[in-house]
Amino acid sequence: MDYFFFLDLIQFTVDGLLFGTTYALIGIGFTLIFGVMRKLNLAYGAAALAGTYIGLVMFLTFDAHPAIVFLASAIGSGLIGLVVYLCCFRFTPENYPMASLLASVGMLLFIDEVVIHASHGLPYPYPSVFRDAIIEIGDVWVRGDLLFVFFMCVVAMGILFWLLYRTPLGLATRAVSQQPRAAQLCGIDVTRVNMMTFGIAGVLGGIAGAMTAAAVGVLSPVIAMGLTVKGLIVVVIGGLGFIPGAIIAGLLVGAAENIFLLLRGVTERDIYVMLLLFIFLTLRPGGLFGNAQSRD
Amino acid sequence: MDFYLGLLQIIGVHTLLGLSAYVVLLTGQVSMAQAGFYAIGAYVAAMCTAMFGFHILPAILVAGLVTAFVACIVGFPALRVKGLMLVVATLAFGEMVRMFFFNFTWRIERGGELVGPNGAEGFRAIRFFPENGWETGDVTVFIWCVVAVIMAVLWWVDNSRAGAVLRAVGHDETAAQSIGLNLTAIKVGAMTAGGMIAGMGGGIYAHTVTHIEHLVFGVLLATFAIAYPILGGLGSVFGTVIAVVFIQGFLVEGLRFMGEWRSILFGALIVLAMNFRPTGLLGERMPRLFKPRPSESKLEPKGAE
Repeated sequence: MDYFFFLDLIQFTVDGLLFGTTYALIGIGFTLIFGVMRKLNLAYGAAALAGTYIGLVMFLTFDAHPAIVFLASAIGSGLIGLVVYLCCFRFTPENYPMASLLASVGMLLFIDEVVIHASHGLPYPYPSVFRDAIIEIGDVWVRGDLLFVFFMCVVAMGILFWLLYRTPLGLATRAVSQQPRAAQLCGIDVTRVNMMTFGIAGVLGGIAGAMTAAAVGVLSPVIAMGLTVKGLIVVVIGGLGFIPGAIIAGLLVGAAENIFLLLRGVTERDIYVMLLLFIFLTLRPGGLFGNAQSRD
Repeated sequence: MDFYLGLLQIIGVHTLLGLSAYVVLLTGQVSMAQAGFYAIGAYVAAMCTAMFGFHILPAILVAGLVTAFVACIVGFPALRVKGLMLVVATLAFGEMVRMFFFNFTWRIERGGELVGPNGAEGFRAIRFFPENGWETGDVTVFIWCVVAVIMAVLWWVDNSRAGAVLRAVGHDETAAQSIGLNLTAIKVGAMTAGGMIAGMGGGIYAHTVTHIEHLVFGVLLATFAIAYPILGGLGSVFGTVIAVVFIQGFLVEGLRFMGEWRSILFGALIVLAMNFRPTGLLGERMPRLFKPRPSESKLEPKGAE
């Protein structure tokens, strides 16, 4: 354990923590939807990817400013989130969870294939900002683009918290996630809240997708699967339906992933992340902060 | 003719995959790990014949048993969590198996050349059938014999007490527990049986295509596995078979002229089917035609015990 190895370890951990915020966003999206509907939306990662591609179209056709590209990604993904809700959750029976689950898997394949067709499966360059800026803290370098990703994700989380805890819509959302029946009796339109939640979660997913693409520099359809699986792992580790848990778990997964990347190489990295998930499932099925009741 | 025999082989192998998910789905659990079990079965059976010179039958049995063992071990931690979390856990397991075979290299010398799984390149030259002079027709008959045996066993299980127990757990866990059923044992048992069937299916699959690689066993295959029984309906094993024939025969082969657009159609079809017929083509009940006694149709599945 020499100095340079130690330095590498810190460097990879910092990069991982910064990039982990995108996982945290995806995890929050899954958690939000699960919170209000008690259902898993597996098409979420694909919707985020499709939204990111909408941003890419803006970039390629109008040569738009990165800020507009990111905005288009977020809004596009939010709209696709609404479509996913209407197609997979609105009209499938409430008491038969398998139907909506399978429908969302079908939607995942559908969106994925449409994106692959539209883009011919080729990776495209995606705009990034502060690519060349590097902040040096001692011997550890902090990449400017990763710092930007981190900053954007934190801002998105801040807005989400403001929405959830300071607005009537947030109050309604929290009410529905606590007790759908009681919320309905208080005059809250549950369908509308569900729709809004899918839209908001979609926007978060779009930001996460855009930030992932911006950090990598290229956009290709393969990141959809990564977003989905990593997001689900974050949800499991953080505990379903618990937003702060998702944030911490996202950072944790980002850091752990990079440490495994350093120790075991890129081809074996994901195996260890999955193993981490299994350890959590065995030892703490309710997640880091969950209790026994939140298992389902 | 060979084309249709090949199609029959694909349908047979996919029926096994669908049936493996069917067993698990009966207990109300959605397992995305079936593609992983299928991969384990494929690699183990291929290693048995290509590397150690087994006959195909023991090879498939070994593959089934190894996969059943893995499924049992995975089942315990995974089934500590319920419903949706299980989907996540099994999805992760499936990807883990795929990544494992992506990194797995073990080659030995046999007959003057190196055989065995070779990491990302996959496992080449699984030539049991051509080496032993099996024609396409023989292989097809062999596959459907295996499928028929497994379907018969499942059909018998479905109509016995065990089937009622599985369905009881699937319909209402709390009620099932309150009449003294051991949930963990039943779920892990179903997972083990499903793993065994998937392993045998994977073993046969490896020998029909002669070359396997990790890419085949992705999320798409796992989706196919759970889509067959859900689209066909959980009433009986025939729902799964009908769904396989429809998807593989009509959607994948029949619409070949549509080229790559078929895969889009598959996703859209699932979404549509779940909106209009959420309990599947044949529904949740057994078809009346196959019912042993008409009086039984009056019983609710929950109250059968």
